[in-house]
Amino acid sequence: MKHINYKNRIYKVAMLASVLLTGCSDFLDNPLENQTPSVSIDYTDLNRMYQPVSGVYSSVSKGGFASWVHTFLKTSQSVDIDPRTGYSEVNELVHNYKSGAAIKGFWALDDLWSRYYGSVLACNSALVELDKFGANIGDGDQANKQLLARYQAEVRFFRALLHYYIARSFGNVPVLGVESVDPAYLGTVGKTPVADVRQHVISEMDFCIANLEDARPNQATHQGGVTKYTALLLKAKAAMDLAGNDNGSPHWNTVLEATDQIINSNRFSLFEDYYQLWKKPGKMCDEAILELQYSDFGNPTGDVVTSGGQVWDNLFLFQAPQNTYGAPINGDGWLIPSDEAARFLSGRKDNVRMKTAIQHCGIEGRPGTFSVTPDGDTISGNTAGKKYFNGKAYFPKSQMTPGRVDWYGANNNVRVFRYAEVLLMNAEAKIRKGQNGDAPLNLVRKRVGLAPLVNATIPQLMDERRAEFICEWWGERFNDLVRTDQAATVLSGFVKGESEFFPIPQAQEDRNINLRN
Amino acid sequence: MKQNYFKTLMVLFFLTTVAGSTVFSQGFVLNGTVKDESGESVPGTTVLVKGTSNGTSTDADGVFSIRVPGSEAVLVFSSIGFATQEIAVGNRTQLDVVLVAEATQLSDVVIIGYGTQKKGDLTAPVSTINTDEMLKRTTSTPMEALQGTIPGVQVVAGGSPGASPSVRIRGIGSFNNSNPLYVVDGMFVDNIDFLNPNDIADMSILKDASGAAIYGVRAANGVVIITTKKGTKNMKTRVTYNGFVGLQKPVNVPRMANGEQFAAYALEWRTPADSGSVRESVNRYGGSGLRPSTSTDWYNALLRKQALITNQGIDLQGGSDKVTYTVGFNHTYQNGTMDAKNDFQRYNVRLQMEANPYKWLKLGFTSILNNSTTHFPNNNAFLTAYTASPLVPVYDEENVNAFPVRFSNSGLIGRNDPNAVADAYYNFNRLKQFQVLPSVYAEASFWENRFTFRSQLSQLYGSGLRANYVPQRSLGPATLVSHLVSGQERTTNYILDNLLTYRDNKGSHNWSVLLGQSSRQEQWRLTRVEADNVPADEEFWYTRQGRPNQAYYDEDGYRNRGLSYFTRGTYDYDGKYLLTATFRADGSSKYQSKWGYFPSVGLGWVLSYEDFMAGQHLVDFLKLRGSWGKLGNDGIRPNSGYAVVTLGNPSSAIFGSAGNTAGQYIPGYTVNNFFANITWEVVTEWDFGVDFELFNNRLKGSVDYFDRKTANVALDRAFPFGAPNIYGNWASMANSGFDVGLTWNGKAGKLGYQVGGNFSTLRNRVTNIGALPNIPGGFPEWTAEFPNRIEVGKPMQYFYGYEVSGIYQTQQEIDADPMAASANAAVPGAVQPGFFKYRDLNGNGIRDDGDRTNLGSYLPTVTYGFNASLTYANFDFSVVLQGVAGNKIMNLNRGRYVKGQSSLNLDADFYESLWTGPGTTNSYPSAYALSKSWNRPQGASFFVESGAYLRVQNVQLGYNFKIGKEAPVSMRVFATADRPLIFTKYSGFTPEISGIGYDANVYPISSTYSLGVRASF
Repeated sequence: MKHINYKNRIYKVAMLASVLLTGCSDFLDNPLENQTPSVSIDYTDLNRMYQPVSGVYSSVSKGGFASWVHTFLKTSQSVDIDPRTGYSEVNELVHNYKSGAAIKGFWALDDLWSRYYGSVLACNSALVELDKFGANIGDGDQANKQLLARYQAEVRFFRALLHYYIARSFGNVPVLGVESVDPAYLGTVGKTPVADVRQHVISEMDFCIANLEDARPNQATHQGGVTKYTALLLKAKAAMDLAGNDNGSPHWNTVLEATDQIINSNRFSLFEDYYQLWKKPGKMCDEAILELQYSDFGNPTGDVVTSGGQVWDNLFLFQAPQNTYGAPINGDGWLIPSDEAARFLSGRKDNVRMKTAIQHCGIEGRPGTFSVTPDGDTISGNTAGKKYFNGKAYFPKSQMTPGRVDWYGANNNVRVFRYAEVLLMNAEAKIRKGQNGDAPLNLVRKRVGLAPLVNATIPQLMDERRAEFICEWWGERFNDLVRTDQAATVLSGFVKGESEFFPIPQAQEDRNINLRN
Repeated sequence: MKQNYFKTLMVLFFLTTVAGSTVFSQGFVLNGTVKDESGESVPGTTVLVKGTSNGTSTDADGVFSIRVPGSEAVLVFSSIGFATQEIAVGNRTQLDVVLVAEATQLSDVVIIGYGTQKKGDLTAPVSTINTDEMLKRTTSTPMEALQGTIPGVQVVAGGSPGASPSVRIRGIGSFNNSNPLYVVDGMFVDNIDFLNPNDIADMSILKDASGAAIYGVRAANGVVIITTKKGTKNMKTRVTYNGFVGLQKPVNVPRMANGEQFAAYALEWRTPADSGSVRESVNRYGGSGLRPSTSTDWYNALLRKQALITNQGIDLQGGSDKVTYTVGFNHTYQNGTMDAKNDFQRYNVRLQMEANPYKWLKLGFTSILNNSTTHFPNNNAFLTAYTASPLVPVYDEENVNAFPVRFSNSGLIGRNDPNAVADAYYNFNRLKQFQVLPSVYAEASFWENRFTFRSQLSQLYGSGLRANYVPQRSLGPATLVSHLVSGQERTTNYILDNLLTYRDNKGSHNWSVLLGQSSRQEQWRLTRVEADNVPADEEFWYTRQGRPNQAYYDEDGYRNRGLSYFTRGTYDYDGKYLLTATFRADGSSKYQSKWGYFPSVGLGWVLSYEDFMAGQHLVDFLKLRGSWGKLGNDGIRPNSGYAVVTLGNPSSAIFGSAGNTAGQYIPGYTVNNFFANITWEVVTEWDFGVDFELFNNRLKGSVDYFDRKTANVALDRAFPFGAPNIYGNWASMANSGFDVGLTWNGKAGKLGYQVGGNFSTLRNRVTNIGALPNIPGGFPEWTAEFPNRIEVGKPMQYFYGYEVSGIYQTQQEIDADPMAASANAAVPGAVQPGFFKYRDLNGNGIRDDGDRTNLGSYLPTVTYGFNASLTYANFDFSVVLQGVAGNKIMNLNRGRYVKGQSSLNLDADFYESLWTGPGTTNSYPSAYALSKSWNRPQGASFFVESGAYLRVQNVQLGYNFKIGKEAPVSMRVFATADRPLIFTKYSGFTPEISGIGYDANVYPISSTYSLGVRASF
């Protein structure tokens, strides 16, 4: 009996000892589940070299660039828009050009800053990735070297575009290069003066112009991607901001040269129908120089890609009227064309632009009344008495994918740069330099059925710019008034030296003290 | 390897169970009875021949019969609540024993990590739970039943059916998981919601480092150890039935502004939208002019008057001389007080068996099977009910497009309020869970029980099936398609423990050594699919019946492994001088640094055993304790420690979206280069305590002071420039305080009484956050409007904002105040009478960021409980009170207006207190003020309210009696009121807010009134 006991015990102890020994080190050494490390990318496979670039387009188009937060801040700095947002900071402060401490803590500014720079960081991260592919390109492989430079230029274009708009909003801001992939750097980097940021954009564009594809964006290899002409326009814009109101500034030469190059390429033309330019027929047409592209893939339900990323971020949705006739044309009715905008357009008998930009909500916005859009959609009045909604963000139901009842505006793109802007900038540079700018200016006027001007002046050109870009989202009107030093005169509440830029958000200063001064 | 071991164990188990059924013995039979001092028989007393495992237990009449080896044998009689007695048998064949009620619980055995210890020998503050008291509470989860009973343990109840309460032991030491570790029969689990309170035999709470350090990396938030009931040897089968039926009634439901009040309020906003909606309500639903006749009470529409809660359980326990067993069944049902499909139902089966085939070997298994179904409510409906206009009815027959139910649509009067009742109604969210916790063990003893070797494999298999379905519906005019989310999850965890215990003594020296090794794996996997246009009948709730899409598919999961070696040594000299030391080395796969080391040491001195204390009668027992130790928290998220690539559609852009062509993805990827290496949080704790019993053991109590410092606190640190947050060990913090518990027992004639009280204090401070001045945070979606902050020297996540010092009464007052005057100079009319007056903390005459400050912390500085019980003859009566003080609540319900584009409803107290003219109030703004940006600050003391409360937690009256003569059935009937009363100044539903103190969207707490029966035979 005892014998058996011992045998049993020995067996058991041996068995347990072997269990104990399973505690070898590889028991703990397993990688984290469901998280792909970057090392799994095969950098020798040069066919995948475009992937980090597509990632950048994705970050910009789904990130903050076309999100409601950015657009409602920029758009509200205008007399042509009655913001009517849910935020008194926008309705009362931004709309009245208040800056400084009063809005320093406003979350939307922080969101704007963070999402723009967030995309800058995505660009830098993609450049690091491209370098890893670049290391695998053979010395004699000129084709791939050229491709690498082109892809780098695409990424660097977006990085510069973001810096350009950040500086327009905040003034002196840091310029973040590839060294920003180190988080410690982010906590210490200091600011660059706004003029230097613009100069930086111009020199970046020189690299891009040299390396990007020579094609109209809708004919680019990756259809709708940025090309040489997109870079030329951004270069011209940065130069225009630098030139300001000084007719003698050499930057006007840059504006003229860059816009001439675009015009003389003969690749671009204005889309005939200004009303349809904003809708499906005008999507990525020959006028498009930069458009953020979206899709619902032609399916009534399922995957859909819209601006921003979340439902609310969709550029079309928050500008849709509060419509009791319901989905899909039903939103919160923000960013309404103002009475002032309507007066301005009707005063100059600008009927096509009027019809395009200003859509009616019932009769004078009264509840219980309705109106019908040129495309046959019925729009009701509303208890808030909003008379209009933004026609440039109007997407007719008949143009939406059949069966799609959600995601208003799905399958439409967001227009950023257009050929019309090139023509108007070309005209301005010419006039500023004492030349005649009528030809390019009248092309723009002719498209909307306006009579040609003779020996157009800068005030006439500024009016034309205001009308052409009315109710758009990138703050061109505000920028025009600031750069021509008209803002304090025209915009009630604007204080020169204070209202030009938003303050750097408090939360950002708390995380990097070098942003404080 | 694991499987082989398991198989072998099972084979051994069956062999020995069969082998163990025949027994031979010599000696003679001794019969007897066991009674208490009052002559009542004591059933269930264990009778053991000393030095052997030969034993029996008394039957329902206290009668026993045992074969003893000879006249030299000594019998040991033990029963819970009585002093253990040893009696030499001599030549007796009949033995009647009177057990004396135990005055002190010092010889009680307390469950500690991987073993037991006598209560008197503890050097750590370990709270043991009185399971009888716990059973008095009518809660669906066991931890909720502990509310207010244990010093240092704060329990915050959830309101919805079956919801897990949040449990904090000695404050908050982590921004991550701050729930304690639960160990059920050796298995680590995240909560014990699956247990029936009636299954619990013993429950200990290890509060300090020296007690918990044996659990190393899992122990930083304290440890709750549970052993489930076991049968005893040679015991007649005992059946116990336990059940109650109760009704829950929502209490403290806020009174909302009615239609008339709301209409007046909305008109005060003076906007076309607000007056428009009032006018439209009149046009559509009746009334005259701007006086609508509609007045909907959304809470009334949303809440049931009463909801059922019931719990029934039956237990069998028994044992022969070689095998003991327990079988338990339990059913719990709790309906929600929201008038929609929301309830919780659970079936429990518990099986336990232990065999003693040889004197030196024990084999056993336990398993808890658990099957539950939870229907989750749409808690958002409560929120909607708060802000929704009362000028809209619940149903609207004229809303012709609405189907399947004619709910109203506030859009018809120009508002955006969702219909709260429709939100609750069009919600089907079910989670079916099945969980098994099997564990098998073998325990071998050598050298006269000095050495014990125990090996245990504990497992947890859990599966969950989630169906979330919203039908096709319309509130007019748009029709929303039906949508199904179907999820399956699976949890497979195991722990393999090997323990070697050595216990010995020589003279007055007693010592023990534990050596242990443990390996574990936790694995979880989730698959989720979604589809639109799925038919309404449950039989067709498959995504292929609707329109699924690739983007509608997701899979997630984790697998973490741990490997640990640990040891504990205890030593005492004559029970006077006590020493406990533990050490644990923990390896984890979650972090880049794999190994952590957690030592602890505890000392105790029992003064009352010293000679100089002899002869006095005041102090019966007095012990001083001190301990130090380190604990880890691996409840923090693992991270990869490398850059993570995001592939697929989320990182791919659309190209070719031109004209009539829909764009398509071109494959892309993004890389997140921002990461930090991460390791566990480490708690270092000191504890000093005193345990005492005075006045003939009438007054018992303990006082502890603790000081715990948490280093490497992991949190998401924000970086500038929108860089993704980096999760890393960025901060450290300290918690300190006192835990005090006291009870007094007394007797006056037939009346027995007991009074007890406990309280804990807590001081929480953040001690380091690196180079950052502060870390801003807040409640999701409201971080900007109601921020909180982490800052060195302040309690963690304190509410941050402006201090409201009053209300401007007149224009003169405004003009005289530089802050208001400067605002009015910038935007005329920005500040008007009836608006908030802020304190200009930086004195610069403008309201800016520098005026924001600490508005209070959500952590209570004091939590307390009080209980009293009386027994008279067969009746007993008890009351438990509990409460907290010193904490603040951010009332997000009232604060909701700051994001409102038009007037949102408010509670009637708020409305009735609004400023209406000079001198009316200095604490509430005017109705008009709520629409203006000046009164929509980023955080303000106006929204911060005291969270102090005192609640009558439980009142119970019970009656005990017996039925039958032959085999009497002991019966207890009882009537209980749970949470009948609360005293609080807080204006919301309930001051019990879990999380970081933001009251948004909470399920109301209910009172429960119930009747119950307990019977055993």
